[in-house]
Amino acid sequence: MTTSEPADMATAAQSVIVTSAHEDPDPGLAPDKVGKERSRSQFADMWRRYRRNKLAMVGLVVVTALVVIAIIQPLISPYDPYDQNLINTLAPPGGDHLMGTDSLGRDLYSELLYGLRLALIVGIATMLGSLIVGVALGAIAGYRGRFWDGLIMRITDIFLAFPYLIGALLIVRTFGTGVTQVIIALVVLGWSTGARLMRGQMLALREAEYVEAARSIGASDWRIVVRHILPNAIQPVFIYSFTSIGVAVVAMASLAYLGVGVPPDTPEWGRLINQGIEQVQVAGKDYLWIYPSAAICLTTLAFAFMADGLRDSLDPKLR
Amino acid sequence: MTGSADIDLDGPSAPLLEVRDLKVHFKTDYGIVKAVDGVSWHVNEGETLAIVGESGSGKSVSAMTILGLVPAPPATFPSGDVFLRGRSLLKMPEKQQRKLRGSQISMIFQDPLTALNPVFRVGDQIAEMVRAHQDVSKHTAKKRALDLLGEVGIPNPAVRLNQYPHEFSGGMRQRAMIAMALANDPHVLLADEPTTALDVTVQAQIMALLEKLQEDRNTAIVLITHDLGVVASYADRINVMYAGRIVESGTADEIFYEPRHAYTFGLLSSLPRMDKARQLRLEPIKGIPPSLAKVPQGCPFNPRCTFATDACLSEVPALVSVNGADHSAACVHSDRVAMAHEERAAAQ
Amino acid sequence: MGKFVIRRLAQAIMVVIAATILLFIGLFVLGDPFASSGDKTIPPATQEILRAKFGMDQSVPMQYLHYLGNLFTGDLGVDFDQRRPVADMLGAALPATARLALIAIILDILIGIIAGIIAAVWRYSFWDVLVTIVTTLAIGVPTFVIGIWLRQTVSGFWFFPQVPRSFTQVAPWYTEVLLPAITLAIIDAAFIARLMRGSMLEVLRMDYIRTARAKGLSERTVIMKHAFRNSVIPVVTYIGIGLGTLLGGAIITETLFQYNGVGFLLYRSILQNNNPVIMAIVTFGVLVYVFLSMLVDILYAYLDPRIRLS
Repeated sequence: MTTSEPADMATAAQSVIVTSAHEDPDPGLAPDKVGKERSRSQFADMWRRYRRNKLAMVGLVVVTALVVIAIIQPLISPYDPYDQNLINTLAPPGGDHLMGTDSLGRDLYSELLYGLRLALIVGIATMLGSLIVGVALGAIAGYRGRFWDGLIMRITDIFLAFPYLIGALLIVRTFGTGVTQVIIALVVLGWSTGARLMRGQMLALREAEYVEAARSIGASDWRIVVRHILPNAIQPVFIYSFTSIGVAVVAMASLAYLGVGVPPDTPEWGRLINQGIEQVQVAGKDYLWIYPSAAICLTTLAFAFMADGLRDSLDPKLR
Repeated sequence: MTGSADIDLDGPSAPLLEVRDLKVHFKTDYGIVKAVDGVSWHVNEGETLAIVGESGSGKSVSAMTILGLVPAPPATFPSGDVFLRGRSLLKMPEKQQRKLRGSQISMIFQDPLTALNPVFRVGDQIAEMVRAHQDVSKHTAKKRALDLLGEVGIPNPAVRLNQYPHEFSGGMRQRAMIAMALANDPHVLLADEPTTALDVTVQAQIMALLEKLQEDRNTAIVLITHDLGVVASYADRINVMYAGRIVESGTADEIFYEPRHAYTFGLLSSLPRMDKARQLRLEPIKGIPPSLAKVPQGCPFNPRCTFATDACLSEVPALVSVNGADHSAACVHSDRVAMAHEERAAAQ
Repeated sequence: MGKFVIRRLAQAIMVVIAATILLFIGLFVLGDPFASSGDKTIPPATQEILRAKFGMDQSVPMQYLHYLGNLFTGDLGVDFDQRRPVADMLGAALPATARLALIAIILDILIGIIAGIIAAVWRYSFWDVLVTIVTTLAIGVPTFVIGIWLRQTVSGFWFFPQVPRSFTQVAPWYTEVLLPAITLAIIDAAFIARLMRGSMLEVLRMDYIRTARAKGLSERTVIMKHAFRNSVIPVVTYIGIGLGTLLGGAIITETLFQYNGVGFLLYRSILQNNNPVIMAIVTFGVLVYVFLSMLVDILYAYLDPRIRLS
């Protein structure tokens, strides 16, 4: 870990976490029988390693379920989450309302479903945005080196120096409320981590022998980057992007909790928590903030497990 | 030096360090790995015993077992023992074993760069060795470290004392390691591939250093290596190991001039000889050493052996004397090996 | 070593200046604090006056330079709301945040490092599994969920001060700081534990640990001296950065617990569009973060002689 730039520490720390935190394969698995020759493709190998990790499989199942639910949400939502019913406010769970109603008489379950859809849309959009910007800039910086590297790295330093949430807060306040603004804000604050990772990988792999070999047979720069370096370099970024979905979801929820970001009446998880807490004074209404909190936890954990599992399965050394 | 008074149970002719029928097996997911499978040897004061073998022959494990550096699960010791002046090391409680490590038996390792702690100064690491076993002040220990650095031929020892391992060259690092190992004047020095990571010219220097230090202190040296060239000039006796067993044992002359095991013969045939007028074709040994989890039936060398017959498949040949004295080989065809070797020697 | 420090210092200053420029543009140029928004309608004439008063009728670069100049004399301006000197406001809030940051970091270190070492040294044992499970879960649960949960269940209980509470109820600082500190510490401690464990596991595999054992040193010395000294390096850098982030104001946690630190102040200022305060606090946060990152780099070079002397 020999880095000499300020925010590299964060990434370096991140990568140490990423690579060394989850060392052991799940202890409850049967060992592979030695001697059986397997000629499978790389993906099959990866998948095999991934499958053995129980936590990772749980993550995959949960994430898939969440995505499916989010997609079919309009179909399965028992009520319109925006539908207020002022006669039936704060109804306890049960009966018509699986999880009860909030202070405006909206069905909490429907609100949670909508919140999931919103969270995944924002999370994935943010992830993609950060990924595109980060990978592009990181690749240029890492591959071109010197001037471009210096310039791009200074820029990432600047963006990394802004505290994540505070920066997002400011951007949203400046540009107004709305989902798009939230996504933009989170991308602006988040792309630099991916850029650092990508650049680090590029720097390392650029010197790799197989790159020299490719160059020696006359492959063009572009071809080298895309075909040889990119598939390897992008791995840590790819793994991180799963974690970043969780980070984005939490960030949006934090902003909404503070009353910023999405429009005030949106059934967003953080917003629901905020509203739910206000109702805690009324006895027994804890579920109003517990259910959304649990939803956030579930989502974040599922993505984190997947990221862990991907990391373990992509790194053959750990096997 | 420290270490409790040793009672010489077997009398003055007892070896300083003796390994008797040692077996070290590892339980792994792939089966039982027989790293060391019934190995016996000994070394006396002032003597240099070389243990020669390819990677995976079990030579390093036997040395590490002596020092107790092999983690006990997953390793098991189904039989055998190690004796230092008649005292059993394997049966000794850990605390006592620790007292011996670094004071009566020391070890130097293959790669001196990774073997030294990168964040501590070299002088401090040597002084630590001294203070671990001698009740002296920090100042005295540092002085001793300084002297040791000088003894192993490091120029400018006062400056070097306060430097870090990465500031030393490869050869100097190994000298520093030797200094550290000899800090407490051990009776036995185990040297695990001490020159493998070094340049050829530096190799010679290090070996010469070891020889000189041995003369000065009468230390027994167990030299573990795969490099027959290094062994030729410095070893008194040689044990050739293959697949966890000793296949031939004798003096340096006996091994080099009268090999009796097919494997030894194979090793010698693949050595280029600068001292011969005519060079014969180098004959490499076909194949690769077996995995220690799946050692072949009978003589473990038989799949690669040019002398192998059916007799070699049925049972493991015993290590028997081939000259009525201490030269032994575990080969059914030792006489055929002798003939083949004479032919080859005559042809050069 | 000296050149290294100077180079890093120059970089740090550049970054801070660039960040403040960005910030300035964002706040004063793009956002108009005096525009009518929501219920607050301000007649245009008053807007003009207000702008002139705060020097916002000048060109942007002039405003920025003006601001920088004031910065050097310690004049952070006055806030839009009540014309209090921003420097005073910051000064009042800072000690609280500093206390919070320090206590959180101490908790981090104690819990995280010890848990990490135990998990690595007694690998596969009950403790290792426990640490792995707990840290995995802790990382997945967002800080503000933990904070909210702690607040709802624990505040008002025993000596923990009640939150939310009115301004008249003042709790002594040492009880007030506990819940927010614990909230912040939980996630960081989990990261540190994993980092420590991973780092320690790697180090324990190294040859020099084998050498240390071959020297006959006690296992305790081998681990706490030889292994620890090597494995703690990445952890130290992580802690340094964590401290930098916390000192900049943990906005969510402070707001959650109504903790009168820099973060809470910032939150209120953002809601009020109180630009001078925002500018000052964020600049301060950036400054602290960058400065601490630089310190961390230097510390890292100091801890690892291989870097120091190359």
